[in-house]
Amino acid sequence: MSHAALDPATLLLAVVLAFLANDLWRVLGVLFSARIDEDSGLFAWVRMVATALVAALVAKLLLYPAGELALAPLWLRLAAVSCGVVGYAVARRSLAAGILAGEIALIGGVWALGA
Amino acid sequence: MTDPNHDESPERAGAERSDLAWAWAGAKGGLSTPGIVLFGSFFGFGAMTHDFGWPLWIATFSTLLVWAAPAQVVLAGALASGAGLAAATLAVSVSGVRLLPMVVSILPVLRSERTTFAGRLFAAHYVAVTAWFEGLRLTPMLPRPARMPFFIGLSNMLTFGSALATAAGHAAAGLLPPALSIGLLALSPLYFLLSLERSSRTLGERLALGFGLVLAPLFTMLTPKFDLLLVGLVGGTAAFAIERVAGRKRAS
Repeated sequence: MSHAALDPATLLLAVVLAFLANDLWRVLGVLFSARIDEDSGLFAWVRMVATALVAALVAKLLLYPAGELALAPLWLRLAAVSCGVVGYAVARRSLAAGILAGEIALIGGVWALGA
Repeated sequence: MTDPNHDESPERAGAERSDLAWAWAGAKGGLSTPGIVLFGSFFGFGAMTHDFGWPLWIATFSTLLVWAAPAQVVLAGALASGAGLAAATLAVSVSGVRLLPMVVSILPVLRSERTTFAGRLFAAHYVAVTAWFEGLRLTPMLPRPARMPFFIGLSNMLTFGSALATAAGHAAAGLLPPALSIGLLALSPLYFLLSLERSSRTLGERLALGFGLVLAPLFTMLTPKFDLLLVGLVGGTAAFAIERVAGRKRAS
């Protein structure tokens, strides 16, 4: 993983560009809020593209971690996520319960492996 | 913002409390379980940026300015995997598309007769998953003139709490024992995965979530710089097509 491009000036520019790219949708939301049909097909498609993109990000962060998370073996990362999903489902879709279960499994696992 | 002392519109009738009091009530509303989970995820984002070599102030500034955890993690992840500024910005923009329907659905709830265009733009900037979810849950039961100040108070509490959490996570990442700092880095992906599941209401959105998870490793091997965009387009379009076909079968 190359960190060569990450001097503060470039990073700051990247953050400002991200702000503009992201807030574009908020401004468009204001402009269209009076006219747009939330149940239209275009809208449904756009939401699904965005959902798949963020899901891909989740998979990428867990399967190919760029940093210290790579110190936990792949099987442990997957087991911890599974514990999180089970905790979330058992506690009737509670985010807090799911995250707590996943974190306990991961931290406990790393601890037990002595990483 | 309007000076409440000079506001004599009939919409004010029935709202005994001042805008400031409603904003304060909203700020207290931000310290609920979803707020705490959000702070935890920004703590994890702070730790992640430390891991990627970002200075603390840029990480904190990105939370205050961008104010969308998925966009910030997409940015950090894209830059760390060697994507250029253009590809990273494009990926951030695609992740932000979800904000459009959120803004569209919350503004009619928040606005009153005295809400200006600038006021709507200001409120829209604060719309992000947790602020939107909590805003829609808490404001509809309030008198209409109270909703906007309540939402601004709520979302400012979430934003500044998250900025503090980002700084704390960044600072803690270097000091904690390895097991805990590894745990911190998993907070954001866990939070996204579960909140995506919780906010998907249709078959298509659940399919898009599943396709995104499954297609990611495939596309990462093919094209690591544009994988997020391509998975979004391919997975999202496939989910959309399947939902349409399923809907048509059910209808006929």
